[in-house]
Amino acid sequence: MRHRSLLVLTTAVTAGALTLTACGSRDDSAGGGGDGGSTTVVIGVDAPLSGKLSALGQGIKNSAELAVKTANKNKEVEGVTFKLLALDDVAQPGTGQQNANRIIDNKEAVGAIGPLNSNVAPPMQKAFDQADMALISPANTAPELTQGKDWRDGKKVRPFKTYFRTSTTDAVQGPYAAQYMFEEKKLKKVFVIDDKKTYGAGLAGTFKDEFVKLGGEVVGTDHINPEDTDFSAIATKVSNSDAEFVYYGGEYPAGAPLADQIKKAGAKIPTVGGDALYSGEYVKLAKKNSEGDIATSVGAPLETLDTAKTFMKDYEAAGYDLPYEAYGGYSYDSTWAIIQAVKAVVEGNDGKLPDNINDTRSKVVEAVQKVSFEGVSGAVSFDEYGDTTNRQLSLYEVKNGTHSVVKTGEYKD
Amino acid sequence: MHDLPQQLANGLILGAMYGLIAIGYTMVYGIVQLINFAHGEIFMIGGFGALTAWLLLPSGTSIALALPLMLLLGMACSVLVGMGAERFAYRPLRGGPRLAPLITAIGLSIALQQAIWAFYPDAKKARPFPQFGGDPIDLGAFSIQRGELFLITAAPLCMIVLALFVSKSRTGRAMQATSQDPDTAKLMGINTDRIIVTAFAIGAAFAAIAAIAHGLKYGQVDFKMGFIAGLKAFTAAVLGGIGNIYGAMIGGLVLGFTEAMATAYIEYIPGMELFGGGAWKDVWAFVLLILVLLLRPQGLLGERVTDRA
Amino acid sequence: MTTTHPTATAPARPGPAPTPGTLPLPAGTARAVTTAGAVLTLAATFLPWTWTRAFPGNLTVTGYPGGLQVLTLTGALLVLLFLASGHGVRGLRWLTPGGTTAPLVLLTAGTFATTWYAAGAISVTLGGVVNLEPGAWIATAGSLLALAGALGLPADTPAGTDGPSGTGAPAIQRLRHSLQAPAPRPARALPDWAEILLIAGAFAVVLYVFTYGIATEYGELFVGFLLLTGCAAPALAKAGLIRRVSRLTARHRNVSIAAAFVAAAAFPFLQSDNQFTSIAANILIFATVALGLNVVVGLAGLLDLGYVAFLGVGAYTAALVSGSPYSSVGLKFPFWAAVLTGALASLIFGVLIGAPTLRLRGDYLAIVTLGFGEIFRIGMQNLDGISGPAVTNGSTGIPQIPDLEILGFNFGETHSFLGFDFTRSANYFWLMLFFTVIVVSVFRRSDSSRIGRAWVAIREDETAARAMGINAFRFKLIAFALGATLAGLAGTVQAHAVSSIDPEQYKFVEAVPPNSAFLLAAVILGGMGTVGGPLIGAALLFLIPAKLQFIGEYQLLLFGVALVLLMRFRPEGLVADRRKQLEFHETGQLDVPDAKALAPVDGNGNGTTGGPDGPNDPGTTGPGKAEG
Repeated sequence: MRHRSLLVLTTAVTAGALTLTACGSRDDSAGGGGDGGSTTVVIGVDAPLSGKLSALGQGIKNSAELAVKTANKNKEVEGVTFKLLALDDVAQPGTGQQNANRIIDNKEAVGAIGPLNSNVAPPMQKAFDQADMALISPANTAPELTQGKDWRDGKKVRPFKTYFRTSTTDAVQGPYAAQYMFEEKKLKKVFVIDDKKTYGAGLAGTFKDEFVKLGGEVVGTDHINPEDTDFSAIATKVSNSDAEFVYYGGEYPAGAPLADQIKKAGAKIPTVGGDALYSGEYVKLAKKNSEGDIATSVGAPLETLDTAKTFMKDYEAAGYDLPYEAYGGYSYDSTWAIIQAVKAVVEGNDGKLPDNINDTRSKVVEAVQKVSFEGVSGAVSFDEYGDTTNRQLSLYEVKNGTHSVVKTGEYKD
Repeated sequence: MHDLPQQLANGLILGAMYGLIAIGYTMVYGIVQLINFAHGEIFMIGGFGALTAWLLLPSGTSIALALPLMLLLGMACSVLVGMGAERFAYRPLRGGPRLAPLITAIGLSIALQQAIWAFYPDAKKARPFPQFGGDPIDLGAFSIQRGELFLITAAPLCMIVLALFVSKSRTGRAMQATSQDPDTAKLMGINTDRIIVTAFAIGAAFAAIAAIAHGLKYGQVDFKMGFIAGLKAFTAAVLGGIGNIYGAMIGGLVLGFTEAMATAYIEYIPGMELFGGGAWKDVWAFVLLILVLLLRPQGLLGERVTDRA
Repeated sequence: MTTTHPTATAPARPGPAPTPGTLPLPAGTARAVTTAGAVLTLAATFLPWTWTRAFPGNLTVTGYPGGLQVLTLTGALLVLLFLASGHGVRGLRWLTPGGTTAPLVLLTAGTFATTWYAAGAISVTLGGVVNLEPGAWIATAGSLLALAGALGLPADTPAGTDGPSGTGAPAIQRLRHSLQAPAPRPARALPDWAEILLIAGAFAVVLYVFTYGIATEYGELFVGFLLLTGCAAPALAKAGLIRRVSRLTARHRNVSIAAAFVAAAAFPFLQSDNQFTSIAANILIFATVALGLNVVVGLAGLLDLGYVAFLGVGAYTAALVSGSPYSSVGLKFPFWAAVLTGALASLIFGVLIGAPTLRLRGDYLAIVTLGFGEIFRIGMQNLDGISGPAVTNGSTGIPQIPDLEILGFNFGETHSFLGFDFTRSANYFWLMLFFTVIVVSVFRRSDSSRIGRAWVAIREDETAARAMGINAFRFKLIAFALGATLAGLAGTVQAHAVSSIDPEQYKFVEAVPPNSAFLLAAVILGGMGTVGGPLIGAALLFLIPAKLQFIGEYQLLLFGVALVLLMRFRPEGLVADRRKQLEFHETGQLDVPDAKALAPVDGNGNGTTGGPDGPNDPGTTGPGKAEG
């Protein structure tokens, strides 16, 4: 008897639990915003939040979060509360693709910020294009992402109409440096080195094309493996060429020792590079051999813009433990562009979002195309390819151990 | 080709660097027949140990004065990690299947690298290493950087000291015995466990010296420098004949020489314009490794041994 | 926990007298305590555990468990069921054909761990234990009580078979002893259809558990899931259920294999969310490649550290002939031709790398493959028309690989079928599953063939194998090339599934799979030489980084440490191959057909320090070289 009763008890409990679990409509997501009547809108963020690029990725995430907080605090869009969904792509395309799916599956998400790496972008572009959802990268520089594979020959075709970026492309930064070195520094012979990565090789390529077009001479090219530290053979090659300066397409961790070893090898010529050399670490690593080296950077120096000053102040006030880094400002602008787009959609739809999330998403894409506001990095709006129309660039030269501005201007083709 | 002397010097100095890392690697292999993949990380930890010593000293200390202390702390750190790895990771696996310690070595290598990355202050990016000031020493046809002097002295010195130690000292002979036949060695009264841990310690100490040479030459240390260095050093050891200390140095020199020559001159060979320069040097080094394995599998200085997998 | 009974030397008592458990409790009391604890825990899951919805899963509802509560509920239910079964309740006895105490100890431990983890996570997330509602307190107390009770239950096996385990033995020894379970009693013969139904049921349960794990929405739930399944799986093994099922599957081999793949193929029916099918598709790619590596590492005993490069060769080949606008070839092969080309290209590279190195000592292969992995990446980077012939587009890689279209079925589109929507990832999931079937059958076929036996012979002792007339080099080359081909096969699907490839995806170590180190780890973690091992290992290694973003930067560190610990304590992996298990844990006997020696070892690494005379000891037979 005792056995039977135990069995009955077990059965009853099991059945009861199963019934409770099976029926009923326990709903975890509804009303997640929780502050009466307001619609929640999710903005996805995809960036490398861990791994060796985590500093840049965290800067992107924090800045996007700051934009969302600011929008919520100021009630930027009446009746809409923004929420961030930040995902880590560890700089891998496969993970980026999964994150894209995850953001798209979120039925409150209207758009996303990211990625950081140009090689992560293609699978994400594709996924967001299928979902008709806006993706704004704060950091991708590869021109083909917006202008198609034949952009070099002037045949620009936009592959994905849902993809935008607030950062400028290699096609702007490289030529700008070429024009400056050729026209203002009057240096005609260059040795071009790159690290064979998307960013570095792209930059070196656009620089070289423009420099040759202007009439300069490329006296040598070479490539390095950024994981290496010994560049003595290449440094000797440079010092035995009659180059007047070196253009390096790549990032500072390899750029600094390269510049150092070139000068040690006896070539007292400056090394010029893109915004990935514009870092205090560059000077720390190359020490006094960094003196005279030049880096371009996109946008006007942050200290000169009022919007940027506010951003820097707010960022500091928010108390993030990591700095906003190189792409924080663009990330803020990208997020703000989506927020502005949502605002436009709400305003064009009698003060509320469309009921169907797919409607909202495609309307946000259209609205992002039309946004225009003063952002952290200057005026933010997108051209017919989805590229930023902001072509402001600055040039920095290392003087007395710090990067100081030598020129700020607009790039013209 | 007027830069040939300088390129030769570049290659040989780089090769000495590889060789210096490789001698410890090859010695450990010679005794336990284990590829200690973590050797590269032990090397890296030596560099960070030395950097720590430098940072602990009051700023403005002259590098010449600080060097002994940096060597001491760097070696202490490396030896500690090397012995710990042997005692707690490898020893329990001794006598088991051959694959087990190799996989442990890979795990250890990743763990050590990540530990430095995560816990050493500011080590997520490269940290500057102190350097000797002053202009390069001009020797006519080529010049040598001041930072390379330490390496140029240390590499041959370490090689000779280690080779003499292994062939002449009592412990060294015990090592040889352990290497040839651990069981018989045990029967002869050799404490093989102690011998093996000593071998790890000595290998680690030499790795630390190499790390300081590396830091002085390149002016920086970073958490991932051990991976490539370990890979290159092992290649050097295989080229020279694994287990052979002189071979490791020769292999290193050959490897460095190949890389420098490949970077500098392959693009001038007709038909090879596209396969020269820094982009392809590692590929050429790899081709060299495959060629040596095909033509002289025992390595340049190795003795022919019967094959066992 | 101290030893309080200094009496009774255990071996003196012959016969199956019960051995006391870890805690000195009378058996009846222990059972009552366990029951009470489990019921209490179960009841507590219907109460709110915290006051705010800020903790994920909303644990604030009365009368309706959610999130982590469901896991605790499941654990408590399982405890009650096994308790009843162990007590001999009719209709439930089939649950415990083997041990009764050992599964209960493990299950209560799992419930305890999950519940306490939940309480801890709530306290940490919300900042302090004040955030726990009474429900959580009852649940933690209940699960503790249940665990204590289970520890007091008498052990299943008589004392004295594995050292001291009677009342006088130290607590840890008695705990170890109470985790031992006897082999299950022989099952009653059932009609074929019933056995097949049981197999189907078992696979359905596995599928459900797996789906639940993939679809966990937040890290805390996934940790709870890991804790519970991590304890429940060995509990089922101790109870003898797993052995029973494996006996059934052995009897109906073909049916079981079919059932396994039907279960896997059913996954997209259970998951409508694209994100989870996308994860599943990627797990499958990773697992298939790991299985291919298992041919090389597990069967032939060759250490390949650049295996991901062969995946890359396949992927690049497929991408080049995919008709992507970025492809330099500009050809568009039908998919079957692309697969064959990719596999062939990988085969060629496998032979090119293998032929010079496989004649040499095994260690050389490790370094050459490691080098090859790096060289492959560098080569792909260089072939961009600037520093080499224009083939691969350099670091940009080959994006915009078009979706496959086979017989008019476009893989890129969502298809509706039987009222279900099948997304792009589901399509690729099925395609990949097809290739997994191929790889699994190749693996099984070669394992049980003449070639497979030759591999084992070479792996165990190459010299002896040669003496027996085996051409070691040829068989090693076959293994290596076969492994490369299988990876190339998987690569062709990967290129289309990810739709963009570039050199950075194929590195030695990276934070996410697939990469060479993770592939190797999947094989080791799962179990070398088995089919199921790499699949489970790959699933775990894929899900842990994907689900637990909060371990973020320590992920690789933990990965490295885990690899070291794994080799130290359970080198045969989660799913142990019988042969491997005997090899790694010397039992002192050559072949032990009885169940005890084959049951999963409880992690004492017994025998690894036993003596230098292992069959494979590198030191004893290796012709060491003198220095200097």
